[in-house]
Amino acid sequence: MSETIIETKGLLKNYKGRAAVKDLNLNIRKGEIYGFLGPNGAGKTTTIRLLLGLIAPSAGTIEIFGKDLRHEKMNILRKVGSLVESPSYYGHLTAIQNLEAIRRILNVPKSRISEVLDIVSLTGEEKRPVKGFSLGMKQRLGIASALLGNPELLILDEPTNGLDPSGIQEIRDLIKRMPQEHGITVLVSSHLLSEIELMANTVGILHQGSMVYQDSITNLQQRAAGEMRLVVSEPEMALSFVENRGYTGVLQNGTLCFTRMNDTTVAQLVKVLVEKGHAIYRVEERRQSLEEFFLQVVGGVSHD
Amino acid sequence: MRTLGRVLSAEIVKMSSRYLWLLILASPAFAVLIGMSQSEEGPISWEFILSVMGAIHGMLFLPILSGLFTALLCRYEHHNGGWKQLLSLPVSRGSVYLSKFIVAAVLLAAVQLLFLVCFLGVGWWREAGGPPPWEMVLPRILGSWLATLPLAALQLAVSQAWSSFAAPLALNVTFTIPNMLVANSTTYGPYYPWVQPLIAMSPYGADGNFGALNLPLESLMIVVLGSFVLFFTAGLLSFRRKAV
Ligand SMILES: Nc1ncnc2c1ncn2[C@@H]1O[C@H](COP(=O)(O)OP(=O)(O)OP(=O)(O)O)[C@@H](O)[C@H]1O
Ligand SMILES: [Mg+2]
Repeated sequence: MSETIIETKGLLKNYKGRAAVKDLNLNIRKGEIYGFLGPNGAGKTTTIRLLLGLIAPSAGTIEIFGKDLRHEKMNILRKVGSLVESPSYYGHLTAIQNLEAIRRILNVPKSRISEVLDIVSLTGEEKRPVKGFSLGMKQRLGIASALLGNPELLILDEPTNGLDPSGIQEIRDLIKRMPQEHGITVLVSSHLLSEIELMANTVGILHQGSMVYQDSITNLQQRAAGEMRLVVSEPEMALSFVENRGYTGVLQNGTLCFTRMNDTTVAQLVKVLVEKGHAIYRVEERRQSLEEFFLQVVGGVSHD
Repeated sequence: MRTLGRVLSAEIVKMSSRYLWLLILASPAFAVLIGMSQSEEGPISWEFILSVMGAIHGMLFLPILSGLFTALLCRYEHHNGGWKQLLSLPVSRGSVYLSKFIVAAVLLAAVQLLFLVCFLGVGWWREAGGPPPWEMVLPRILGSWLATLPLAALQLAVSQAWSSFAAPLALNVTFTIPNMLVANSTTYGPYYPWVQPLIAMSPYGADGNFGALNLPLESLMIVVLGSFVLFFTAGLLSFRRKAV
């Protein structure tokens, strides 16, 4: 088993008596891309600010790289690159000057500036004051800043916010390459499951400050698998016939719907229907979309 | 504190803002105008030139500039998540705070130096008697700089806490305006931090007759040191707990 990079125990953050994050036990391992998911106000940003020591927890402990954040904050932050909420920048400075200010603190070679500008495709714009940048360009600069110090852990809060489709694709590919090429661990937040699904290998779903679901993406996709639908002739008769034989289903707009079943059961069901003389026009598995699953997990209303 | 040098060097990159440098010029330039226009019966003395040039500088400009510099140094951190980015880098909050204070103090020192140059220039131009009175002017330049540091400490404390640019300045002006009255009061003058730069700047020593202006330098420095320790510590403690 690989080493743990982020471990929180009983993490709690109260704002005026209301918990923004409660009893959070995170365990993120080296080389993992951990997708941090949750609707607006779920507590994603609050958790990330806690992990970076920007705010103090009301209770609980945080260990990063096996070190206590309270006691070894400097040593930890040296190896962490981050982007919190909307991109941070000094508007009166150019992109290069922005990165230079950070570089002087991180004490990395000057050549790193053009490297990161290249990674986020900002080359050519680097001499303009950042206040004239578009949102997506500022976001790219923020990601460049996060990469500047060759971090071992990247914490990115909604990194694709404000990016165009090709930008989203670029950043997604970039994030996916991190563990493979540099052994970097990534914590990335989003409120879009479809986006997390495309890059993360583990997902944690946060809702009202609590972790409501945490599993690998593969397991999540299985959990979200849907129902079998059959379109047959004389559906009412078919339904009552198979119900007598122990299947439970419902009739929806002339379609027979059954809960998820394995291959053998499907084969058997089709066989008895054919033997009974029903014509079978269509057999389909309708997978619940991950978004529907997400809404179900966070207790939102699912439109069906 | 190990990171102080790096944070300071980053601060220099961030400061490449035009206004900051212009502000250094403002007060000495104004003092030159006054120094050139005021006249005295008989031959012009160095004391007279320092008193007219230093009056507005010590009473108004030094306190106001202490607030402006600190507010400007915090402004670009408040806008667009600067604090957030800075404090998630490997820096201690103490060194970030101290570096802001050092930069403000250095800017104020630059103002003082320029003021000194202007003072010497005006004295020479108007043919003040005798050689430049170093013994009189240097302690006053240094003393009024030191007396401004508590104000800078207070303004930094307020500016880091309030994301508004105008509010700390309004506070600063509110406390600076009474200087004109307080300066003449022997009761309050010695204890009012905002008037200390003016007192320290005044060329008339213990035998003068200017209300609070005739205090010995030592008692003045006790007030200055006391208020400095108080304001700086309060600001630092608040900054270390700041939620970003
Ligand atoms: N400084 C604060 N004072 C009071 N409440 C706060 C503060 N910061 C966050 N909260 C509350 O904490 C909860 C979680 O906020 P947080 O910003 O962590 O959500 P999020 O998951 O990042 O949402 P989003 O997807 O909108 O970015 C919200 O209910 C918010 O109102
Ligand atoms: Mg957020």
